[in-house]
Amino acid sequence: MPSVSTQITYIVVGYAVLVAVLALVIALRRRERPRWLDQMVWMLELLLIVRALAGLGPLVGDDEPDSTSTYVGYLIASICVLPIAMKSIEGDRAVWSSAVVAVAALAIGVIAVRLEMTA
Amino acid sequence: MSTRSGPHKVLLAFYALFTLAAGARALVQLTTQYDEAPVAYWLSLAAAVTYALGWYAIREASAGRTGFASVMLWIELAGVLTVGTLSIAVERWFPDASVWSDYGIGYGFVPAVLPIAGLLWLRRQKQDTRTNL
Repeated sequence: MPSVSTQITYIVVGYAVLVAVLALVIALRRRERPRWLDQMVWMLELLLIVRALAGLGPLVGDDEPDSTSTYVGYLIASICVLPIAMKSIEGDRAVWSSAVVAVAALAIGVIAVRLEMTA
Repeated sequence: MSTRSGPHKVLLAFYALFTLAAGARALVQLTTQYDEAPVAYWLSLAAAVTYALGWYAIREASAGRTGFASVMLWIELAGVLTVGTLSIAVERWFPDASVWSDYGIGYGFVPAVLPIAGLLWLRRQKQDTRTNL
């Protein structure tokens, strides 16, 4: 059975893809960014914080990652990307702001997969 | 940061992400495995610096100051094409991959598409700037 952090990663990747697809659909339909999309982004951030806390285990246990610096880099990036992206579109609810959410969520999906590969 | 909306916001997001990705990758590889492929790792760091400058250039261009972006985006495109070609033609220089190896295949070719998308946006931006004068 996969470890707890691996199971959380599966959820993170699935949820990140869902957020990215919804954000892209909103952008393609040329709608303003709805509030519920922001809420979904912050829910994803919460999941990432839980994943990061679970990911601290390998750093203090015997089963250290192959490259600790790479692993820590992905861990930090995973929790920083969404707040920075949301800050960059603060006060901007126009069409292109949803596209930024799509890019950030997609990046989170990739980072989560890479994090799992380096764990 | 400019609060005016537009496609430049997406470009800025991509450039920020690639500055982070290329910079972290280059620093980790240069400090932990320098001897394996020094040329490739230095080129990754050059890519990271290019993305950071590209981010600044696009931000300036979005405010109507397009001069720096006109130079920077061409430099970036030349870098991707040169490193991409070298990585195929002179394989011994690249025992390990660089960010722009094989035209950015490791990043889904986004590094090759990004400067082209930037230049297309810039052309439109220049037209808009001229119209508003």
